[in-house]
Amino acid sequence: MAEDKLNGAPSVNGRAYPIVDHDYDVVVIGAGGSGLRAVVGCSEAGLRTACITKVFPTRSHTVAAQGGIAASLGNMHPDDWRWHMYDTVKGSDWLGDQDAIEYLCRHAPQAVYELEHWGMPFSRTDQGKILQRAFGGMSVDFGNGQAMRTCAAADRTGHAMLHTMYGQALRHSAEFFIEYFAIDLIMDDEGVCRGVMALCLQDGSLHRFKSKQVILATGGYGRAYFSCTSAHICTGDGNAMVLRAGLPLQDMEFVQFHPTGVYGAGVLITEGARGEGGFLTNGEGERFMERYAPTAKDLASRDVVSRAITIEIREGRGAGPNKEHVYLNLSHLDPKLLAERLPGISESARIFSGVDVTREPIPVLPTVHYNMGGIPTNMHGEVIRPTKGDPDALMPGLMAVGEAACTSVHGANRLGSNSLIDLVVFGRAAALRCAEIAGNGKASAPLPKDAGEKAIARLDHFRYADGDIPTAELRLKMQKTMQTDCAVFRTKESLQQGVKGIREVWAQAKDLKVTDRSLVWNTDLVETLELDNLICQAAVTVNGALNREESRGAHAREDFPKRDDENWMKHTLAYADFDKYTVSLGERPVHSYTLSNEIAYIEPKERVY
Amino acid sequence: MTPEKWRANGNKMVQLTLPKNSKIHQGKEWNPPPKDAEEGRWRAYRVYRYDPDTDENPRVDTYWVDTFDCGPMVLDALLWIKNNVDSTLTFRRSCREGVCGSCSMNIDGTNTLACTMHAEEAQKETIAIYPLPHMPVVKDLVPDLTHFYAQHRSIEPWLQTDSPTPGKEWRQSREDREKLDGLYECILCACCTTSCPSYWWNGDRYLGPATLLQAYRWMSDSRDEHTGERLDNVEDPFKLYRCRTILNCTKACPKGLNPGKSIASIRALMVERGE
Amino acid sequence: MRTPLSQARGLGAAHKGPETFWRQRVTAVANIPLVLFLIFSILLHIGSDYATVKAYLAHPIVAVLMLGLVLSVTVHARIGVKEIVEDYIQSDAIRMPVMLLSSFFVIGAGLACAIAIVKISLGA
Repeated sequence: MAEDKLNGAPSVNGRAYPIVDHDYDVVVIGAGGSGLRAVVGCSEAGLRTACITKVFPTRSHTVAAQGGIAASLGNMHPDDWRWHMYDTVKGSDWLGDQDAIEYLCRHAPQAVYELEHWGMPFSRTDQGKILQRAFGGMSVDFGNGQAMRTCAAADRTGHAMLHTMYGQALRHSAEFFIEYFAIDLIMDDEGVCRGVMALCLQDGSLHRFKSKQVILATGGYGRAYFSCTSAHICTGDGNAMVLRAGLPLQDMEFVQFHPTGVYGAGVLITEGARGEGGFLTNGEGERFMERYAPTAKDLASRDVVSRAITIEIREGRGAGPNKEHVYLNLSHLDPKLLAERLPGISESARIFSGVDVTREPIPVLPTVHYNMGGIPTNMHGEVIRPTKGDPDALMPGLMAVGEAACTSVHGANRLGSNSLIDLVVFGRAAALRCAEIAGNGKASAPLPKDAGEKAIARLDHFRYADGDIPTAELRLKMQKTMQTDCAVFRTKESLQQGVKGIREVWAQAKDLKVTDRSLVWNTDLVETLELDNLICQAAVTVNGALNREESRGAHAREDFPKRDDENWMKHTLAYADFDKYTVSLGERPVHSYTLSNEIAYIEPKERVY
Repeated sequence: MTPEKWRANGNKMVQLTLPKNSKIHQGKEWNPPPKDAEEGRWRAYRVYRYDPDTDENPRVDTYWVDTFDCGPMVLDALLWIKNNVDSTLTFRRSCREGVCGSCSMNIDGTNTLACTMHAEEAQKETIAIYPLPHMPVVKDLVPDLTHFYAQHRSIEPWLQTDSPTPGKEWRQSREDREKLDGLYECILCACCTTSCPSYWWNGDRYLGPATLLQAYRWMSDSRDEHTGERLDNVEDPFKLYRCRTILNCTKACPKGLNPGKSIASIRALMVERGE
Repeated sequence: MRTPLSQARGLGAAHKGPETFWRQRVTAVANIPLVLFLIFSILLHIGSDYATVKAYLAHPIVAVLMLGLVLSVTVHARIGVKEIVEDYIQSDAIRMPVMLLSSFFVIGAGLACAIAIVKISLGA
């Protein structure tokens, strides 16, 4: 639907940037699991839909998801979406919004069947049903025994899912703009989101997308840390766009550390490895999880296991020459089971730590993995812009799904395999909502005259940035600061240092140096724009963490070791001031109600595994 | 030459006269190692460079990588160069763990993923890195894969059924599911397809190993009801039968898959239904 | 200006190929004993005079085997040469004439051999 007309090229700093204009009902930014599901849904609904993505769809980070996708299908034992909901609420340490969690768990089975009908190659049971495996924090009957609820395609579930959904997008002839980097949102004077500006890497042209709805499906920002399981592309570009638009991000202090990243390389070893019977040992060969989680042991929630590993290492019981990691043992498992259900991580262990999993344990370490926080949305994916009177007030024209969004179903800690289901359930929900909002066939109002000029100015600024600090150097400084001062355990001192350090980095960003001045496939420029995106997210993360004086889920304050429902049963909102390099914080109540009367609000209680 | 022009040329690579800027020049040496450097600490990388914004021919630049300061993989070395020596060096990368297929390139004479290849595995002391062979180059190590993706699209890579969709899952036996192993894991990195001489010669019409592996993946799926149509769509002297069983594809696949066998299996299905 | 999908699909599938592929395999298999027989025949008649060889070839079994050999090799060669031309000659303008000429040559040579064998075996 490109109009393909070259407008009077806007001129920035005396340089002309010709623009190609497009007009759509919906523009989705990102082609990972949630983005593709939204694209498929919008295309099915007959909306004129474009999907802008900075990498080819099957290279999005969803492809790296391993263990599985949670849904109460009941293929292995009787199951109930309410039990799934209970586990998710408990996993979230009661910070999740229970209406959204109910929506998620209720719609999960249908979403998995839909993927299966689209051709996803799930592993199978002897009855030919979808195989489900045990995962951390998943229980039957409200915490009474381990559940097998996680549907798997070996340990390549994300890969199988992403390729399947890419196929569906092709089937619906969805319109992709591949290897286009979204620079910024286009906002009008009334504060309504009207579209997005993007740079086509292939030929360096600028594209202005006008759209009734923009869906941000831009994923997390794991690359704010030095060591993470996230791909290089996980820079949370959508989150940063939202901050630049003056909107808040929510619960950004909650950063999940996956207990089992390969020591050194940081690549992921699925929790499914423990679900299939693997266990952790410390340097003394002890199965230490028994001390920390007597019931669930190695299948306790991720935050619990990550803290346990960190304590073991800190107290001198780590393994390896420097006692810097622990071991994940799989060698007692049947080699046939390893080959059938865990082939991918067997390969990863061989390549990245030279380990034959049938004989030796894998050295592992908690590694940054997932961002529970993100763009606040309701369960239809609509972005929330809280006002004084209405904490759930909506932001017109803008939606967010997937890891970029904070719906908030994961609260303070996400359960393993709840992420993939989040992608498809809320990707679909957002598409359904789009059909209601944007499906009237009417054209949207013309864009303001200067639409997108700010974005071009941002691009031009960094393209010709000629300071003293190369992008890689400043990025490393930010990553090291986050890794040291905003890690598994946090204290006031470490976080204050982190706030100071990130503020320095933020201020230094004006002194960045970009060497490549071209526009075609200028990865120097793109990495700089991504770094600029990461810095503000690092800032809201560390500020939010300093502010929250309690321990909840993934946010563990040593100086405030207990959860404090009285003062902190609330979402953090964080706004960034880009002129002063400061963060201002607000709050939003946690929804203390469910969606239907089929389940009552699950009251907070002590969280033990 | 732009990708568009290159494709307009008919994607023909066996030509008596090569396109104007095919001749590769010797580039510059960026950061010779310090004179008193320890033995074996610095390793040379010769990397193909092409800047589409100039009229200049491609060149091969030499970089020295401090192996004491750099991770073990070839991708680590490229990132080290980009971060420490030359930020204009351009290549695709994402997951760095061998599942996304972004960083496929020709390293030390073989198509593979930079992120899963240990620099130690290279046969030659100086590691030569080129973009995937016989594809139009957009910039440096970034090839244009549009035609490759379109060919993948052309085999309709989604489940096709006509029976009423069940309320739950389609049932599939474990044995039938096992038939998809070795097929569904393809990451579309194009290492196999761009290592195939037959694809170099007739890539405009020959689908190539990756796409045919995907075609066979859907033919092998017990849930799919359109196997016949799928066979029809590739029943062609060029689309399928250009395979010369050279098996470069199988040798190249960084995921250990066997596209050559898939192609043979499709041919066997053709014979089965025809003879 | 064509879309990538249009270029990838091209003119669609010709619904040809399996017969050729199968024929090439069948003739390859047939060629093994037939060529061995040819070699055997040649070795057998090293130093023989014209009349002996002619008489040998006129024997019905030998004639049938020789005709079979000519047929099998001709079919095999025609497919093989065509595919080599398709692989290595990229220009459409040259490809078609070369393909025609090579086909004429292979078929012509095959026919000539066949006529010779028929003539000999019918005692002409």
